[in-house]
Amino acid sequence: MNKPALPASASPSFTKLRARLRVAALLFGYLVFLSAASYAQQTAATEQRAVLNRYCVTCHNEKLKTAGLMLDHLDVKDPGAAAETWEKVVKKLRASQMPPSGAPRPAESVLASLVDDLETGLDQAAATSLNPGRTILHRLNRNEYAAAVGDLLGVDPGAIDMQALLPADDAGYGFDNIGDVLTVSPLLMEGYLSAARKISRLAVGNRNAQPVSETYESPKYELQNGRMSEDLPFGSRGGTSIRHFFPLDGEYTIKIRLQRNADYYVLGLAARRQIEVRLDGARIGAFAFGGSGDEDGTFGATSFGSSEAREDADFEVRASVRAGMRALGVTFPNVTLEPEGVYLPPVTDYGYAMDYGNPDVEPALGSVTIAGPYDAKGLGETASRERIFTCRPTPSLPSFAADAERQCAARILSTLARRAYRRPVTAEDTADLMEIYTTSRSMDGNGMGAAMGGFEEGIQTGIQRILVDPEFLFRIERDPSGLPPRTAYRVNDIELASRLSFFLWSSIPDEELLTVAERGRLQDPAVLEGQVRRMLADPRSAALVENFAGQWLYLRNVKAVWPNPDVFPDFSANLRHAFQAESELFFESMLREDRSVLDLLRADYTYVNEPLARHYGIPNVYGNHFRRVPLTDENRHGLLGQGSILSVTSYATRTSPVMRGKWVLEQLMGTPPPPPPPDVPSLEEKNEENGRSLTMREQMERHRVNPACASCHKIMDPLGFALDNFDATGRWREMEGNTPIDSSGILPDGTEFHGPVELRNHLLKRPEQIVHTITEKLLTYALGRGVEYYDVPAIRKIIRDARPTDYRWSSLILGIVDSPPFRMRRTR
Amino acid sequence: MMIFRKAIPRRTFLRGLGATVALPLLDSMVPAMAALRDTPANAPVRLSIVYIANGSIMEKWTPATDGPNYELTPILQPLAPFRDQMLVLSGLAHNEGRALPGENTGDHARAGATYLTGVHPRKTEGADTRAGISADQIAARELGKHTQLASMELCLDTPELLGQCEAGYTCAYMNTLCWRSPTTPMPMENRPRAVFERLYGDNDTTDPAVRRRQLQKDRSILDSVTEKASRLMDGLGPGDRAKLSEYLEAIRDVERRIQMEEEQSERELPTLIRPPGVPARFDEHAKLMYDLQVIAYQTDMTRMITFMTGREFGGRTYNEIDIPEGHHSLTHHQYKQEKIDKVIRINIYQAEHFAYFLDKLRSTPDGDGSLLDHMAILYGGSLSDGNLHWHDNLPILLLGGASGRIKGGRHIRYPQDTPTTNLLLSLLEMAQVPVDQLGDSTGRLDLLSLA
Repeated sequence: MNKPALPASASPSFTKLRARLRVAALLFGYLVFLSAASYAQQTAATEQRAVLNRYCVTCHNEKLKTAGLMLDHLDVKDPGAAAETWEKVVKKLRASQMPPSGAPRPAESVLASLVDDLETGLDQAAATSLNPGRTILHRLNRNEYAAAVGDLLGVDPGAIDMQALLPADDAGYGFDNIGDVLTVSPLLMEGYLSAARKISRLAVGNRNAQPVSETYESPKYELQNGRMSEDLPFGSRGGTSIRHFFPLDGEYTIKIRLQRNADYYVLGLAARRQIEVRLDGARIGAFAFGGSGDEDGTFGATSFGSSEAREDADFEVRASVRAGMRALGVTFPNVTLEPEGVYLPPVTDYGYAMDYGNPDVEPALGSVTIAGPYDAKGLGETASRERIFTCRPTPSLPSFAADAERQCAARILSTLARRAYRRPVTAEDTADLMEIYTTSRSMDGNGMGAAMGGFEEGIQTGIQRILVDPEFLFRIERDPSGLPPRTAYRVNDIELASRLSFFLWSSIPDEELLTVAERGRLQDPAVLEGQVRRMLADPRSAALVENFAGQWLYLRNVKAVWPNPDVFPDFSANLRHAFQAESELFFESMLREDRSVLDLLRADYTYVNEPLARHYGIPNVYGNHFRRVPLTDENRHGLLGQGSILSVTSYATRTSPVMRGKWVLEQLMGTPPPPPPPDVPSLEEKNEENGRSLTMREQMERHRVNPACASCHKIMDPLGFALDNFDATGRWREMEGNTPIDSSGILPDGTEFHGPVELRNHLLKRPEQIVHTITEKLLTYALGRGVEYYDVPAIRKIIRDARPTDYRWSSLILGIVDSPPFRMRRTR
Repeated sequence: MMIFRKAIPRRTFLRGLGATVALPLLDSMVPAMAALRDTPANAPVRLSIVYIANGSIMEKWTPATDGPNYELTPILQPLAPFRDQMLVLSGLAHNEGRALPGENTGDHARAGATYLTGVHPRKTEGADTRAGISADQIAARELGKHTQLASMELCLDTPELLGQCEAGYTCAYMNTLCWRSPTTPMPMENRPRAVFERLYGDNDTTDPAVRRRQLQKDRSILDSVTEKASRLMDGLGPGDRAKLSEYLEAIRDVERRIQMEEEQSERELPTLIRPPGVPARFDEHAKLMYDLQVIAYQTDMTRMITFMTGREFGGRTYNEIDIPEGHHSLTHHQYKQEKIDKVIRINIYQAEHFAYFLDKLRSTPDGDGSLLDHMAILYGGSLSDGNLHWHDNLPILLLGGASGRIKGGRHIRYPQDTPTTNLLLSLLEMAQVPVDQLGDSTGRLDLLSLA
């Protein structure tokens, strides 16, 4: 890492000359070399200018100003002087988007040489006057806040419903961690204050916690088939497994409610069934119900008695529970003797929710309500308490007790502050916190008993104070004093540590990273690389899956996919969850196995469970857990064969070749099409011709008769049509209605492909373009700012350096970490 | 999975049939709140802004004739019961919403950002975001002196979906209508539970002593971080300082609220079951959010609420009324009657929900009349023809009695391109917030003399 590259073309000849010649000759030769080089450069520049004049300037000149781009008077010799403009030119040429189809076009070799020269010039100019850009102060977004709180206090993420505590963040440049866009409003500030209170209380524990009840509802429209979670026993069916935080050692009640249908009748009462409750795997209660219906067993009579069915009125368990996160499982022992997963006739989500007592329907869990603590026995030792209370005020002589307690409090709070502020703590930091501690410690209970106030409440308030501190909520970087304006400088170790941890973990640095940074060792290339590799191997790097891939690939939109049940009666919420899980596991395997980023498109394996395997037509997969399977059907290879991507780019009732094409252009090729003009003119409306209904392709081809639409759609649509064998839910199909699917497409440049495999091969013909897009998105995410023209040379270098590894994830990530925009900053 | 949390023992909570059914919040609390209102003479004018996105089918919105005897159009039909307290205002425009040279796209982003500001937003995907201060935030500065919350900003769509922002424009221009300053957008809240907790606290206890103690702690924490943030300002660049200033301003707002809350601590807190997360059904969600607004006005927690029923460019599907297509793409209807009809149905559906809100306001006693009598409500959008992205001849209604300052029952037509900001100035004046200039305004609209 970090070795400045010499210009490759100059050094060998220069070395030879020096070896052979004496000083005078050397000087002479050097002069000859220089003038020869500049002559060659001059000639090249003249040629390139001629190419530009012939193929570009016709439109892009100071008179016509097409697209605001004027190339007639720019100096081709010195592209660095107008880097912003030339980077635009390079981008268009690299993507083969210019010259436009129909306009005269030079030979590919001529274009390639022009782009190469421009890039070389731009890269050289960037190297001599480095502009690493300037990231603005960053507020932690909601995900980062959640992860940071978890790492700082050891609070189980499952114990905090962050979605309920803080509002969602705005996004810019496709990501929600952009410093410019993350603002602070009073709404958010109130959220921070209240979240800090709740989280600090949860972490410290509250001896006086009053009984509360929490209800977990199963969505009404989701089938409960098979084993629902890895935490539930084999041979179980339906129900749920909940990770619940029990605040104190004590008694809790667990109340079960069976699922009702849309008319509030209890489902599945036809036969005698059992439901059981398990705490951390151990059975703590079971209830039998149903089967009391008519002689023929058709209906559970009570189910029809009234809408206030009482079958489950007494389903309540009272149990003694230790404080902390516990797994509570509620499920039905599977009564059939078939092994898990034998294919039964499908009951759809919709039919299930509307069901009136169909004997085929098995009962389901409606909700679980956990209430308590009653007869609280004490705080117990939770993971967060162990993390926080690194010391305890020891009972000693009363005269020393107060001092010892203060010292312990100072130790606890300053230890947390160091991690929270991601830097060594100062005396001032500790003083700030101790002031809050003291006030809260000495608050009298206002008649609420001696249990209020005291050491632990002081600590809790101190933690609450840390969690709203500007140095916790913001990532602040400071210019070193004494540098002239617009100077590039390396950010210090401490700042670099935070840049790394928020990039790879969406969280604060851990103890090791922070210690390395505090010791000033992080700039050492070997140490830095070691830390990056360690962090990538750490489970926390799964944040890249959720936050980077989740946004880049639109995986976060999967939860909003809701195909129309009239058109897709077999689609189920379980399938939607499976789409998400598949792509996340898939992406994570890419990172963990450090594969080439191109494997995202060409991998011959994926992750499925039984419903998803059935959806894809993959045989011999049973059960609800996910496992890796080889893909024998080449059409399914890579992301473009996954239900997640295929469904988020579809409408509720049908596929959208336009949306799919746009997704490919934008997220993979990095060349988003412009938005459509507002007023799409009326076309002769025909859904039918000669008594036959038109396919979507035919309708769209008629739409493309309009030249205003055609210029973009002829690029987008063929990409989308190649995927049209996948319906709006990603299921393979050969027919649409009575017409066979036509998945062929021709791009404006004459490239022809047919179906997903050929589309993929077409895309992979220019791997650099895909790698460039991925690198640009990853850099945007890593920096938390939009990528600017002055960052593009760094992107090109990252790609060049990653090429020998066939673009492994680690080489791109290490390349980003080593790049000027990530390592450096510019004074204002 | 939805998670609800509530305190035990519960007081007199209404129990719905299924927990996902929107609970009749309002009905359960009217008795508890009945004594809260100021004396009749003081009943202040409260402001409400309700926004509809992606334009409207104007042929079915705009009445054919002007004056008092106009015939209600199909989209306005659901509002018939409120005709006497309604003004239909035609001819208003947002001239700053139109594209500048070089801005070939972005009409939805500009529509959202200009609606309450009258300022042409800067084209950016994030860096140097800039619109203008919005009318509701100007009102909030004044009206907020009397209430715990200066203003509330609510919506129905989540900002979390990707690919939902117009190319080249930051999502902020579409995610909110409200701008505290030209560079600070106010995020909008779509979670009923969060709205409820913001209004009435997130405590598991309603014990006033515990609550007072908590406020005291909050206050000392805010003092402490304020001091620290001021120290941190030193040596930072202007961009960074602006961010920290936002943080400090937000803290001041919260402090002001704490002070107000302490002063009003004798006030009885409503006994309500907390609303759940976001209901799966749109109509339940919309009604719940309207309910919460009525409660907020009724308990005088705020006098300024902006409610965005849909975000510009938003592609919400209305499955409840059998419209599986996305709203935005439907508005680009290519003149297909079938699509136009669906947009009309969406517009009517929006008006029906709004009528639900008006009805609740009218049936809520307030001083010498109803809440509706003391409100000025702006209902409408920032595009007229959603297909052509027109920024003029906007769909705009003004409703409520505004304590006698609105004389309803008429359709008024203004000259072409009259700035909508002129109406916003009039609206502010009704709430006794006199402002002379907002964005591209040229002077107040005189609604009273145009009888």
